[in-house]
Amino acid sequence: MTDELLVVRCQLGEREAFAELVGVWNDPVWAYVRRMIGPSQADDVAQEVWLAVVRGLPRLREPGRFAPWLFTIARRAVANRLREEYGRPEVLVEEERASADPADGLVDRAELLTGLSELPVREREILVLFHLEDLSLEDCAEVCAIPVGTVKSRLSRARRMLRDHLTEKGHPR
Amino acid sequence: MNPDDLIGKLSGPLSLRSRIGNVVALLGGLGGALFIGLLWATEPALPGRTHLAFGVLVALGLAWAGYGVWALTRRTPLFALDRVIAAWLAVVATGLLTAGTIAVAVARGTWVSTAGVLVAVTLAVLAVVILIRARAARAALLRRKGELGG
Repeated sequence: MTDELLVVRCQLGEREAFAELVGVWNDPVWAYVRRMIGPSQADDVAQEVWLAVVRGLPRLREPGRFAPWLFTIARRAVANRLREEYGRPEVLVEEERASADPADGLVDRAELLTGLSELPVREREILVLFHLEDLSLEDCAEVCAIPVGTVKSRLSRARRMLRDHLTEKGHPR
Repeated sequence: MNPDDLIGKLSGPLSLRSRIGNVVALLGGLGGALFIGLLWATEPALPGRTHLAFGVLVALGLAWAGYGVWALTRRTPLFALDRVIAAWLAVVATGLLTAGTIAVAVARGTWVSTAGVLVAVTLAVLAVVILIRARAARAALLRRKGELGG
């Protein structure tokens, strides 16, 4: 059953459809939250996310766009928890140009999982959304409320930071 | 936390009973406050204690209405079926309110009671419009569900 059909059934008021929706998306949401803020608070924040989803579902105008909407809510919940860290200014992100980075090819899932927790929040977030949650560049842009070009540049920077970090830790390049 | 645990924790906002209960609180509180307020305003001479009692009853009605608004906007959403049920409840409640205010207007014949009838009729028309919109929105969702094979 597609996400859109599940969402439409939820909007109609079918409780069992909501249980199915949670069954499908709880693990990705929990994984995203855990990678962003650690396991100790993940349950609480994931619950906040689903509560916001319940309250917002009747107003979701594009049921087919459920995934980016869901991660937008999850991102907001995570940001609330990380507000102090989020307050830091972002340097040169908008100006940085998307470019073919030789480091891009080095990033694989295992490396990501190894080094992710050491990265700053913004870089960690974009890697999780793009590589681990398999969101498209457009969906990442929607979730993070930034242009697609900025997503590309942020991804590029995040991969480079991850590569540098893993290299420092003695991983082969 | 597994999905079943999560659904259990979300049982409050997902419960049809709690959503409809909030609608009843809103409509009952608002309708009761308006009707009692009308009786209060059209009674020519009342002792002090009766004024106080009417005031308390109106305040209670408004408090329930306020709670209903708060709960429906902040805590429990209304899905398509809930909206249709809520709209029907509103139509019935405003219909009763209109009948009550007309009865008061006929008995008292003051400008205040006429104004009360106008307010009640306005609310009734609003309830009918909400019902029509809620039914249309639910029908659109049902059509989409059918298109998607559900």
